[in-house]
Amino acid sequence: MVDAARHPKITVKTYTNVERVEGYVGNFKVQLREKARFVRADRCNGCGECASACPIEVPNYFEMNLAPRKAAYVAMSQSVPLLYTIDQDACIHCYKCVDACGALDAIDFSQEDKVEWEDVGSIVVATGFNHFDPSVMPEYGYSRYPNVITAMEMERLNNSAGPTTGNLMRPSDGQNPKRVAIINCVGSRDKRFNPWCSNFCCMYAIKNAILLKQMYPDIELSIYYMDIRTPSKGYEEFYDRAREMGIHFIQGRPGLITENELTHNLFVHSEDVSLGKVMEREYDMVMLNQAAVPQPDVDTVSSVLNISQSPGGWFMEYHPKLRPVDSPTDGIFLAGACQGQKDIPASVSSGLACASRAGRILHSDEWQIEPIIAQVWEDRCVSADGKQCGLCAKACPYGAITVEKGTAAQVVTAKCHGCGGCVAECPHNAITQMHYTDAQVLAQIRALLAEKPEEKIFAFRCHWCSYGGADLAGTSHFDYSANERGIRVMCSARMDSDFIYEAFRLGAGAVLYSGCHPQDCHYITGQRVGATRADRLMRTLDKLGMSPGRFRIEWISAAEGDKYARVINEMQQTINEIGKEKLSQEIEGMKAELEKRARRMYEAPRVTEASDYSDEMALAMSVLEVKEVKDGK
Amino acid sequence: MESNHPLTFADQVRAMPGGEHLDLCYSCGTCVSKCMIQQKLEPEYNPRRLLRMVMMDMREEAFNSPTTWLCSACDLCYPACPQQIHISDVIEAVKNLAVEAGYSTPLETVEVDEARCSGCAICVMTCPYEAPHLIEKEVNGVMDRFSEVDAENCMGCGMCVAACPMGAIARPGVSNAEISSQIDIKTQNSSPSLVVFICDWCLRVDADLEILESYPDNVRVIHIPCSGRIDPQMALIALNSGIDGVLVCGCAPGECHYQRGNYVSSCKLSLLDKMLGQMDLANGQVRFVQLGTQDRGRIRHEIDGMLVQLLQEAS
Repeated sequence: MVDAARHPKITVKTYTNVERVEGYVGNFKVQLREKARFVRADRCNGCGECASACPIEVPNYFEMNLAPRKAAYVAMSQSVPLLYTIDQDACIHCYKCVDACGALDAIDFSQEDKVEWEDVGSIVVATGFNHFDPSVMPEYGYSRYPNVITAMEMERLNNSAGPTTGNLMRPSDGQNPKRVAIINCVGSRDKRFNPWCSNFCCMYAIKNAILLKQMYPDIELSIYYMDIRTPSKGYEEFYDRAREMGIHFIQGRPGLITENELTHNLFVHSEDVSLGKVMEREYDMVMLNQAAVPQPDVDTVSSVLNISQSPGGWFMEYHPKLRPVDSPTDGIFLAGACQGQKDIPASVSSGLACASRAGRILHSDEWQIEPIIAQVWEDRCVSADGKQCGLCAKACPYGAITVEKGTAAQVVTAKCHGCGGCVAECPHNAITQMHYTDAQVLAQIRALLAEKPEEKIFAFRCHWCSYGGADLAGTSHFDYSANERGIRVMCSARMDSDFIYEAFRLGAGAVLYSGCHPQDCHYITGQRVGATRADRLMRTLDKLGMSPGRFRIEWISAAEGDKYARVINEMQQTINEIGKEKLSQEIEGMKAELEKRARRMYEAPRVTEASDYSDEMALAMSVLEVKEVKDGK
Repeated sequence: MESNHPLTFADQVRAMPGGEHLDLCYSCGTCVSKCMIQQKLEPEYNPRRLLRMVMMDMREEAFNSPTTWLCSACDLCYPACPQQIHISDVIEAVKNLAVEAGYSTPLETVEVDEARCSGCAICVMTCPYEAPHLIEKEVNGVMDRFSEVDAENCMGCGMCVAACPMGAIARPGVSNAEISSQIDIKTQNSSPSLVVFICDWCLRVDADLEILESYPDNVRVIHIPCSGRIDPQMALIALNSGIDGVLVCGCAPGECHYQRGNYVSSCKLSLLDKMLGQMDLANGQVRFVQLGTQDRGRIRHEIDGMLVQLLQEAS
């Protein structure tokens, strides 16, 4: 940290909030609010005279509130840069610190927050994690029984720089405990609070037990656990070492802690799972290994940076296996535990990976993106005519579209990831998506439904999930109806209602609308745009008199080949039950309405347009034209 | 893919309400440590192992396990279960399957004396387990209504015994006569006499039971299955026989071993207090306390406090 602060090309800005982020990869503009410390950074030398003079004491958060700090303080003794801060919530304005500072004259009560904009090429988010507050679990009595402490409190108690100078003492009477219980999985692997395993608690339970055993060889230590997870290199050997040192490992999650009110000794009630017997064991002190949870302000940070969250609130990576440190927004990277619970080696490697990913952007003049991007046909955009619209901007998960009245909507190409949500949402057909134009998609629909459409199950699959699901169904040799005809679009957000109307107008037996599960969407919120549209479509088709089951919405992940096969088979069964005649009759009855609604298919698909993008597609279209000519005869 | 195998025992349990989450159990033992039946009643009782037996399709073992029959669905375990499995529902599903297969409960259950039963159905309304129900039967040529207790559902809490106005229901060990006969204190010198009715489940730890035993003869401790078993008449009998005070101990709200016995007794005793008040007799001789699972040692404060109060009133 000190090295970083001294580096000529690194600026460390502490006590500073990021308030706004604009721009895109390589060209970000960030608004920073440097909060007023009431101490001038250019003059303070960190001598601490102000803190000695300050008469006000408040709980010290860094010491887990086990010790006080002054209103003039540094967050911790190794703070970089070593600058004191006056805590205005506690300060009584006695100005003793000003006198103590003397000739240095570093204290300045007239300081105000400084807001400035800075240009940056890439952003690394390393906001870390928080720890679960066990006082919401009454069964363990934390905050009610003085001798029940958390792992973070234990960390300060046995730290030689901590409030007790490393002397482990019971909060109730200051005595050294003779018997200590450590309880794992407090708030983690618990569906009431956090379903995840917090990853590193088994290891720090063992670490703390070994440290205590080394300091106090006579101490009796028990670790209550559900499963001990020691998966990395050297971890299992560490676990063995703890057992060899005489630390008891008791399998069984305690249901209850009771306290002797006179001695403040604690009784841990748990089932010893190996014996199948309920035990009540007495301890002097109990340490709770709390879960790792996301920071309380993840929502603010994710909305400022426009990055999405996984279930639970961790920041979501671009791809869990292949791009684990990239955020869904290009140029923003996720280091350490803000992306998910990580131990030290994993955090260090993700930090190093972020540095190299971010450096790559800073050192290149060009940035490659996927060719699948949205483009606006300016002559069609109603915003150019001064009308209120902006549906495209609303659908865009990346904020890549700017709409101003009087000019056509603008797509910032570097920000566009090509989900196609805007294309499908535009009611005026004024946006197209390269490689997935309306013409191309419609040509595929028409080609696949050219013959016996009433027997076909037409599936729209998103590229990232349900297409993968269909692929897995195939490679796993799951049997599903051969009447399925599927096409790929990038996201369920691209599945325009016109496509579904067109498929039914052509007489499709059934249509499947499938994409990612809501939390898995590759395009942050694309699935939500698609799902809203699909629900609306479902109601419309229902009103038009379509039999239930002919239009089906399913969220299928790339790992759910069995689900894909099952859904298709169920749809086959549905159309079998409805019967061919009724299927065709329904379409006949609705045809006029479907044609009226699917405006886009008259406006957009022009053969010439399609041929601009792909020869193959032009071929498909010409085949169709020939067929139409035949039908005309 | 779909399978065409016939339903296994585990599948049958999964198909019953509450059984859906069966397979989520990772055997952490929280339910066993919350439950008091293993400590108080049956050392072999273990809901975690029953869930495991079901998962592993061990049908006969599950039906013969005491866990199947002894769970009173107090649901202390459910809110504590980290996997949010409704354990008492799973156990009930197993029990229903066991009853279907012809197994019967090993518990001692209440019996109705038809000679006394008037068919008023108060027991039907009182029971938390829907064990009693009315039947019609011809007696001496006349159709008459009687209460009949479904042994499989009865948990033996005795709430119906306390509620029956005809004294027609009894369970061996906790009949009215057996409890009343324990209310006798030879009043010694000037120390106040106190009867403590204590529910079998409200004292979790052995240390608290030792506290109870440490009192001299002027404190008479009477164990009852549930505070809901208390009939206000018993308190009156005690006061009438010259005893200074009555303390009824039950479980904390939401922790009753028989679902709502503590609620029933708190209603009854507050009514009794009101009634004594109308007769200008209420000055705290009858008190109801609710002890929670974490109230280790509180029973001492409650009894001592009551004795001090009685002593102050006497002087």
